[in-house]
Amino acid sequence: MILDSFKLDGKVAIITGAGRGLGRAMAVRFAQAGADVVAAARTLAELEQTAELVRATGRKCLIAQTDVTRSDQVNAMAAAAIKELGRIDILINNAGGYHKGMGKPLHELTDDEWREGIDTNLTGQFYCCRAVVTQMLKQQGGKIINIASGWGLRGGKNVFAYACAKGAVLQLTRSLAVTYSRKNIYINCIVPGIFEGAAKYFQGGKFIPIGRIGQDAELGPLALFLASDASNHLNGAFITIDGGGLAGGISPTGSLPRQIG
Amino acid sequence: MALNEAFKEFSIEGKAALVIGAELPLGAAAAAALAEAGANLVLASQDPGTGDQLKELAKKISAMGRKAVVQVQSAISRADLSACMDLTVKELGALDILVNALDVPFFAPVEGTDDTAFERVIENNFKTFWTACQEAGRTMIQRGGGVIVNLTSIMAERGVPNATLYGAAQAAVLNLTRGLALEWARKNVRVNAIEMGWVEDPRSPAVNDEEFAKTLVRYLPEQRLLKPEELGGALLYLVSPAAAYVTGQSIAIDGGLLCRV
Repeated sequence: MILDSFKLDGKVAIITGAGRGLGRAMAVRFAQAGADVVAAARTLAELEQTAELVRATGRKCLIAQTDVTRSDQVNAMAAAAIKELGRIDILINNAGGYHKGMGKPLHELTDDEWREGIDTNLTGQFYCCRAVVTQMLKQQGGKIINIASGWGLRGGKNVFAYACAKGAVLQLTRSLAVTYSRKNIYINCIVPGIFEGAAKYFQGGKFIPIGRIGQDAELGPLALFLASDASNHLNGAFITIDGGGLAGGISPTGSLPRQIG
Repeated sequence: MALNEAFKEFSIEGKAALVIGAELPLGAAAAAALAEAGANLVLASQDPGTGDQLKELAKKISAMGRKAVVQVQSAISRADLSACMDLTVKELGALDILVNALDVPFFAPVEGTDDTAFERVIENNFKTFWTACQEAGRTMIQRGGGVIVNLTSIMAERGVPNATLYGAAQAAVLNLTRGLALEWARKNVRVNAIEMGWVEDPRSPAVNDEEFAKTLVRYLPEQRLLKPEELGGALLYLVSPAAAYVTGQSIAIDGGLLCRV
């Protein structure tokens, strides 16, 4: 039965950035799909709320207070997952996002702003991948889902550290896929367009071909697909979820002007 | 079937789906996957010799409790394709999903390819997609929306010796997918593609050319050919409401082959 291949029964999923928004929504959805969850983020109070929602589904939730830009904390998170829940089947590299210096032209960007953008959006994903791969090799399988961005594929005005980091996430994904493709570890990437968190900067998304900004809840099913056996044999793939934005882009709204709605 | 909250967006229960090329390995697998997930089917073949084979598939689908209608035609003209759309609406009450799975492999060196072969390859592997999308799109727009998935291959992305023409036709299908997605983004018609890697298909050199097959399998990331049914998860993701914000995209199912240098 094909829908059965989407189930996560018996699996353990680490979700970073699980304290709020999309990360929390994924934690709850994965638990509903049958997984025990390791909820990682910096803010303990937010993780406790996520854990409550996960546990309400009947699944276990391990709280791992973690700053993903610190490798010692990331390694401790993976060790705790193995100790408390016995295994690591899925990693969702969801932590990251906007940082100081975003929107600044290059000549005004400070060293610290650059480093923060790269650490938050690239180095954290590298640390998390590295921390789980050893266990996945032992288990002879696993799924890693990295979250990139449309700015990883196209340039953005005054988006430097973020765009460079997200572009590098795509390359991290490809090289991981090539390296572990014979070890039953699948590494894929979600490339989101404009979602609720950034809505205020984008005037309701009228320029997006589909005519609206994405809802955070729409990322959940994609993450579930990529975390489950339903996506077996996808490897190093980038799935763009952006209302058609990246399919076009060389004319206004991706349509001829007379069709702008 | 009542779906757990985690999987609710993946339901296509009762949807009306048309598969063109249902006599071929990928088309048959696509039809079976859609039926398993709850859709009713029209199975269309362009090969008059495949009537019995399609009746067998229809029987299998009926046994799952879905409706299956067989349409075998001797050509792939606009009239035939238009008739398929009408038949789907008449028999199933709607046209919610179209899967274009027609695929006629063609491997020959460019200098030995005559104009007749060229016309045939473009007709089978591109023009049919164009006409079927156009006819389906008109019906779907008129009826309030729908979803189209074009099945193509990773040869759309890379050069392959002796598959130059075949690959070019498939690349054309990818850009057809992008353009249609943009034109129909605000008409509630989503258009996406799946690019398959090397599949177990008796017509492919990966199966019928022993020497090539041996070298190929050693080279493949997973060291084996894909089974046609392994497209099911990605197909169900794309055709279901789970991918409501995904249009103009392609998902490669290739074990990671496209990532490699």
